[in-house]
Amino acid sequence: MTVEEIRGSSNEIDRFPIGMRVLAVDDDPTCLKLLDGLLRKCQYQVTTTNQAVTALKMLRENRNRFDLVISDVHMPDMDGFKLLELVGLEMDLPVIMLSGNSDPKLVMKGITHGACDYLVKPVRLEELRNIWQHVIRKKVETKSQSRSDNQERQNHGGEGGQEAGSGDLNGKLNRKRKDDDDDADDNANEDDDPSSQKKPRVVWSIDLHRKFVAAVNQLGIEKAVPKRILDLMNVEGLTRENVASHLQKYRLYLKRISQQANMVVAFGGSKDASSYMRMSSLDGLSDFRTLSSSGRLPNPPLPSYSPSGMLGRLNSATGMTLHSLTSPTLIQPTPTHSITPINKFQPVVTQTHQNTNLFQSSFDLSHHKPNTQLPDFNPIDESRIFTGSLKMGSMSSESFNLVSSSSTFLDVPPPIGDTFHDQLPPTGGGLKYGYSPAGFGTNITSTASVPLEVQTQRQGQYGKQNYGQYSSNGFSTAAPPLSGGGLGGNGAMTTAPLMQHNRGSGRSSTELKMGPGQEYLLEQTKLSNGFVANNGYDSLDDLMNGMMKREQDPTIIMDGEFGFDPYSFGSCI
Amino acid sequence: MEQSHIKKQINFIKNSLFEQGYLDEQFIQLEDLQDDANPNFVEEIVTSFYSDSTRLIRNVENALENYPLDFCKLDDYMHQFKGSSSSIGAKKVKVECTHFQECCKARNSQGCIRAFQQMKQEHATLKRKLEAYFQISRNE
Repeated sequence: MTVEEIRGSSNEIDRFPIGMRVLAVDDDPTCLKLLDGLLRKCQYQVTTTNQAVTALKMLRENRNRFDLVISDVHMPDMDGFKLLELVGLEMDLPVIMLSGNSDPKLVMKGITHGACDYLVKPVRLEELRNIWQHVIRKKVETKSQSRSDNQERQNHGGEGGQEAGSGDLNGKLNRKRKDDDDDADDNANEDDDPSSQKKPRVVWSIDLHRKFVAAVNQLGIEKAVPKRILDLMNVEGLTRENVASHLQKYRLYLKRISQQANMVVAFGGSKDASSYMRMSSLDGLSDFRTLSSSGRLPNPPLPSYSPSGMLGRLNSATGMTLHSLTSPTLIQPTPTHSITPINKFQPVVTQTHQNTNLFQSSFDLSHHKPNTQLPDFNPIDESRIFTGSLKMGSMSSESFNLVSSSSTFLDVPPPIGDTFHDQLPPTGGGLKYGYSPAGFGTNITSTASVPLEVQTQRQGQYGKQNYGQYSSNGFSTAAPPLSGGGLGGNGAMTTAPLMQHNRGSGRSSTELKMGPGQEYLLEQTKLSNGFVANNGYDSLDDLMNGMMKREQDPTIIMDGEFGFDPYSFGSCI
Repeated sequence: MEQSHIKKQINFIKNSLFEQGYLDEQFIQLEDLQDDANPNFVEEIVTSFYSDSTRLIRNVENALENYPLDFCKLDDYMHQFKGSSSSIGAKKVKVECTHFQECCKARNSQGCIRAFQQMKQEHATLKRKLEAYFQISRNE
């Protein structure tokens, strides 16, 4: 594939990215003017409009008129995310979101809606200099996607496909992309050689898509089969194959959205929003996908992220999906045997699969005011979290950490030399989500008692579910149900006595105050089944030290690499 | 020399604006964008900001007269205000917007009103200073 090929019909082929045609949309005249100036400085060809409807009109008139769209999120005539969706669906152009708000929730929303990037105002020149990469990337992915499309369809490998989320999206969008001839023929022929002939594509216009969605909803997502959908839609010229492939993509999309919505929760706020973009490539969990899960986030007095979100994120971040956990039951058995050393882990674990239970239970435990977020957890979220955590166990410890990190305290780095403070100093900006101790992963075990305090405190701080509990790792008394999804899904609620989080001021989730004498399963152990085999409780000091360390260094937490870094994850909001 | 004297003055004013925290590095970005193709970019964008923000301020004032206060709407306005003021590097104004937003979150009516007063003040002060700055720059 040569560069020219990639650039397609771009005019300035030889000088790309110079002359790249950008459409900028922002209702604020000052910002729009700034954007205009910056883009011109980058030598792009800029068109500006302060109305989303105008932008759409321009795009619809001629899809090939622009290479890239930059749009503000906050607009009076149309929500930026809606515009994003429409552009993605209809035109398959890369869209960059722009916002004054760096709230991770929004960033996540942008990603799940298909944005290529998310910039925070005020926009800097350097950031804009690089946006051309999204154009190239999209074209590259689209081309490779179209090649493998047939194959994908035949293999029906959608669900388990570890394809980068963006790849999936591209593929999906690719199908919807208008052909040059704007062919309305169906492109069902899977036998067509994609590279030799331009496949006529079905254009999934908004109306068509709407009909499709209505039909799917009517049938119920589980029962929605292409033939039935086709009948319900009653559109001429549409074949079962068209519907089938669209359905497949739609399913993936939903999965990804619900999964990623959860992840939003996990992110803390302060870091650069663009780091969240990584998430876009995460795959969804197959098991827990539900249509309803679209990002139900707790609503906070404080920004809160459902813990499940974190896990969800973790899952995807590490590419971990719950493939291994085919059903909730799977979760149950695992914990039981892997957690042996952990007291009561099993019971807790088993509960997890009842996502809601887990989540709820964890909160029930807390004597303090219940985590306000509890109710908001989505069952899906929880399941995700749970599964995430479980899965984590089986994954490398690092990945596990991710999970645990979501739970905020999971971070228990191995030899922790620092002194342990009871009170974690409040972290500035991003919350650190439990630094997951290297091995801690198993936060799945929920220790019930402690978390209560921690949780509540934490709640106050983060508005998030108490992740702290997880950190306690103490799998002691698994009595409390694993805090479900919320807490990194592991419901690792440390026993109350052990963990007293003084959350007080600290926002970091790592504020895990563990009684010195307490033994927590802080030790990081590889989980055989995804549970952290934390066998026995290591001294709390170690855990705390580890945490404190993390605590001190806010940068660890929110790095672009969510969860990839065992200690990162601070982003609890 | 006349020229360099004016230049010095301009720089002096500008530096003091930075030092006193009225402007941040975003303003420098604006200046970077000013070139032969866009000779008055900074002044244009600042003018645009002030005309737009005046409208916003009026909206906020109206909203503050309706009790109970609609914190969501106010937060919304502040979000917009923050976005545009950060775009020109109006540091203090941005800070006041954040305060206002915090009061909104806390549903603190009095706090909102106070924060708004502060914000208006900073907004007006900066306007004066920038006007003086542009005045001198034009003489260059």
